[in-house]
Amino acid sequence: MSAEPGGAVATSAQAAPARPRAAVRGRRLPRVSLTIIGVFVVAALFANVLSPADPEEQALRQRFTPPMWDERGTWNHVLGTDRLGRDLLSRIIWGSRVSLTAGVLTVLLASVVGAGVGLVAGYYGGRVDTVLMRATDATMSFPVILLALILAVTIGPSFVNVVIAIAVILWARFARVIRGQVLTLMELDFITQARIAGASAWRIILRHLFPNTLNTLVVLTTLQVGYVIIVEASLSFLGAGIPPPTPAWGSMISEGRDFVTSAWWVSFFPGLAILLVVLAFNLLGDWLRDTLDPKLRQL
Amino acid sequence: MARFVLTRLLQSLAALAILSVVVFVLARATGDPLHLILPMSASEEDYANARKYLGLDRPYVEQYVSFVGRALTGDFGTSLRARRPVGELIAQRLPNSLRLAAFAMAVSLLLAFPLGVLAAVWKGTGIDRAAQVIAVLGQSLPTFWVAIVLIEVVAGRLQWLPAGGISGPASYVLPGFTLGWFVVAGMMRLLRSGMLEVLDSEYVKLARVKGVVESRVVWVHALKNALIPVVTFAGIYFSILVTTAIVVETVFAWPGLGRLAYEAISSRDFPVIQAVVLTTAAIVAVVNLSVDCVYAFIDPRIRYVR
Amino acid sequence: MRLSIGFLAALLSVVILTGPVAAQSKPDLTVALSSFSTEVLDPVLGGHVVKYYMSLMFDYLVGVTPDGQLSKDSGLATRWEPSADHKRWTFHLRKGVKFHTGEDATSEDVKFSLQRAIGKRSTTGYAGPLRTLIADIETPAPDRVVIVTKEPTLIIPTYLSRSLSTEGMILPKKYIEATGDDAFAQKPVGSGPYRFVEQVTGSHIKLAAVDSHWRAGVPRFKTITFKLVPEETTRIALLRRGEVDITDVSRERVKELERESFPIHFRREEAILTTWWVLPRDGQPTKDKRVREALNLAIDRNEIAQSIFGGYADPAYVPMGLSWAYRDIGFKPTQDMQYPYDPARAKKLLAEAGFASGFPLTMHAYQLPGLPEGKAFAEAMAGYWQKVGVQPKLVPVDYPAFRKNWFDRATPGAFGYYNVANRDWIGAYAFLEKQAYTKSKASDTVNDPEIDGMIEQVMRQTDKEKIATLMRNVYTRLRSEHYGVPVVYLHSPYAASKTLGKWNPGTVMYDFFLDELASSKR
Repeated sequence: MSAEPGGAVATSAQAAPARPRAAVRGRRLPRVSLTIIGVFVVAALFANVLSPADPEEQALRQRFTPPMWDERGTWNHVLGTDRLGRDLLSRIIWGSRVSLTAGVLTVLLASVVGAGVGLVAGYYGGRVDTVLMRATDATMSFPVILLALILAVTIGPSFVNVVIAIAVILWARFARVIRGQVLTLMELDFITQARIAGASAWRIILRHLFPNTLNTLVVLTTLQVGYVIIVEASLSFLGAGIPPPTPAWGSMISEGRDFVTSAWWVSFFPGLAILLVVLAFNLLGDWLRDTLDPKLRQL
Repeated sequence: MARFVLTRLLQSLAALAILSVVVFVLARATGDPLHLILPMSASEEDYANARKYLGLDRPYVEQYVSFVGRALTGDFGTSLRARRPVGELIAQRLPNSLRLAAFAMAVSLLLAFPLGVLAAVWKGTGIDRAAQVIAVLGQSLPTFWVAIVLIEVVAGRLQWLPAGGISGPASYVLPGFTLGWFVVAGMMRLLRSGMLEVLDSEYVKLARVKGVVESRVVWVHALKNALIPVVTFAGIYFSILVTTAIVVETVFAWPGLGRLAYEAISSRDFPVIQAVVLTTAAIVAVVNLSVDCVYAFIDPRIRYVR
Repeated sequence: MRLSIGFLAALLSVVILTGPVAAQSKPDLTVALSSFSTEVLDPVLGGHVVKYYMSLMFDYLVGVTPDGQLSKDSGLATRWEPSADHKRWTFHLRKGVKFHTGEDATSEDVKFSLQRAIGKRSTTGYAGPLRTLIADIETPAPDRVVIVTKEPTLIIPTYLSRSLSTEGMILPKKYIEATGDDAFAQKPVGSGPYRFVEQVTGSHIKLAAVDSHWRAGVPRFKTITFKLVPEETTRIALLRRGEVDITDVSRERVKELERESFPIHFRREEAILTTWWVLPRDGQPTKDKRVREALNLAIDRNEIAQSIFGGYADPAYVPMGLSWAYRDIGFKPTQDMQYPYDPARAKKLLAEAGFASGFPLTMHAYQLPGLPEGKAFAEAMAGYWQKVGVQPKLVPVDYPAFRKNWFDRATPGAFGYYNVANRDWIGAYAFLEKQAYTKSKASDTVNDPEIDGMIEQVMRQTDKEKIATLMRNVYTRLRSEHYGVPVVYLHSPYAASKTLGKWNPGTVMYDFFLDELASSKR
């Protein structure tokens, strides 16, 4: 979740002098974050091998079995079972495929569209910029959750609808930030020189502007993955998320929410999964921002 | 400056106009509210009667024009479900959402301040890390889950605080905290990096050289300067809070705008859907406009769009 | 720094000083509900108006006892009798019943209310049948009303009673004519033991007791407030904190509350969870009777009752079988009507019908008020049917979307369900007339000419015995032809505070009899 600055231009009254960031918190890789993400990516990729059971197989008589360390638990269901007797561990493993794909796909879609709009708006300026920015504003003022709800109610909830509903609003965030970056870049000498030399718009955008926004894009993309996963969870709660019986962490938490103190494991473990993944992505994003471009403090 | 404000205002209105068309189409795409209003035994004639009575049988363009025309005079039509003026429904619920957002704002500022300052002053140490994790934690947990756990434990079992609905100052605490924790991370980040920049600056170094006590350096000089972006973003966060409160409102049975939108979508109540979306868009537009104006005031370069 | 603290303090004070504060005056009754249906307080609007709060504000022409029997003590009518040809029904009204505005309730008000209920604006559940039946309403005296029908009928007293819907509610003619319909909907006035105080849609409805009422004496509670609280955990937390006295709870949390000694009141068999396939059947596997039987044999009703419904349900074996009506019509489901759980035989039947390798089946999944387990239930059904070879495709929707599919017949053969509120025989007949009668078009789920014939005959009958026989036959045929998969009868739990005392929520559709709870005549 990030702010929407009017433009990512330095706003402090006294601009900090450019200093080598040697004193930054080391170039030490954020090992914990990367490990966590790595574990879940592996789980997503090899779900069919790693999962101990079929995530959609019901066994009503075994519903709400506690995790194995409880006296009523069994080795068959290491983390217990849910409301319909399905194995929780299997659903979490398969759920990483669904939730991670949803998060990454949505953000990629939004970033491509948003970066495109931001680059074009920043480069051309004038009318183009105005129109695009007002469209961006209008988009950003439409609450994501409401749009997803309307889609769910109209066409029915599905994985694709969730991705589209979120991406359709999320691109605006990217557009704003990238445009702000481009505005700053446009004032630099080498751009002016390229224009004088007669380079075409596309060449300037693709060759000169875009690579310089890459840092920002990477940071923003990483930070938004967690946001998308959280939004999907909220959508599941409202009935507009990824529909059953597909195991998605968000709907798993939602299904177990009436039993937080009785069958606590049903919500707890998928909640823990979301927490770890989103935390990892957020901290990774923070580190990337600190490393690649500390001036991006508005993100 | 005045020209800047005027142009931005006009552009915001244009954006709202486009949005009104979009939401009009979307609302009607959700389905037929008559299925919910009329009983199962209703005949074709009953449907035709109801459609006529509710004005749903006119051509879409006519419906849109009448909707806009009346909206400009403040009449947002009548809720199909509650048979009350939409304006009245919104007037009942909007203040509740605004108050909750204000309280959540206060909570998040209360949390973000110490965390951000601590993280900046002890940059790179465990304290910095811990502060970041606490802040980011709020962003990493689904809101409804935090809400339900808090209700079950704090309200239900420990019974320290009210469980739901509006009933006095104490009832703001749990929903306000749930809502506010979500934006703590963003604000803390701003504060932290803002302070880091200022703490590094010539201005502060000069103060230190002059012998100003370190705590004064931190709390007075650095914080003052770091606050500018935070205050400007507080407005944006406020509008985020108002528009994303639907989950918190549902769990805490808080009679606000978000919940109204959810009910309207569930019952295909077009006038209410339209009005709520436009209201939230207007709030966001007003906030964005104000923030842009503040920016333009601070940094004149922004006023001039190429 | 001080600026910021000041800013925060200002923010907080604005919030605290301008926010509403709860009134603290006992004894009050607060009820938390997970849904309010349409929240329109005009009895004539809103398809199935939930009567929990309406029955407190309004009196009915004909009252009922908590177990659904027509009563001469709790309605405006002290007695009623039909003419010999059953086309003129005379109601004798009690005197001294006053509206909240002070006027007396007379036959003029009854006539006005009834005309309003069957008027063009009315969207009540049973306006249709009444419209076709009623020819005229006469008011020969202030305490007598005569309802003249086009055909001989038995149903008038019940249709105008508390046991069904709101058509029998008595409204103040002078007040409504003076203030208009819209104002009435916003500030309803009736003659019940509680009068309207305020409503915040989506939040609560507040009623205050009148000084003395003919039905309830001096009401025991000063105010009754209904709060809309959709989230289960929140309702239970409110109960634990003593902020509400009554709340509906899901079956899955009953044991947890019982362990804490909260009294749980059950409305036993409050609803039947009955399912069907969207018409038309032509071209669908469900056209074959063996397929329908197989789908019935493939599910384990006991397991569903025990697991998904926490044991608070009993297996049901007759499609659309509203059991509260059985006693009236003398219907007793026999032993061999009980479907066993027999997946092997189900597979065999499917193979015989030519579907050895199954067939695709669209299954809608949705929650309903009173059925929070809706989606889990649909998933469970899908699981059972998958085991006998069917390929279920779960389509999560919300109920309005399913209803649209159902009425538009967009997905023939698709599976849908509802927790149908249980009711007496007239209500059961009305329900069959909607869902088992071809001429009801969109809402029909049966399309069986024999059943159509029987239902038509009921309409014209005035002999109770003949009606009972016809209805028994309808149920028997529904079962023998497997028109749908009846699953369970649901017992609905309502948790109460430990100080509430004795309360009988009754067995009347959508009504709690809170006025009985509040009555000082208990």
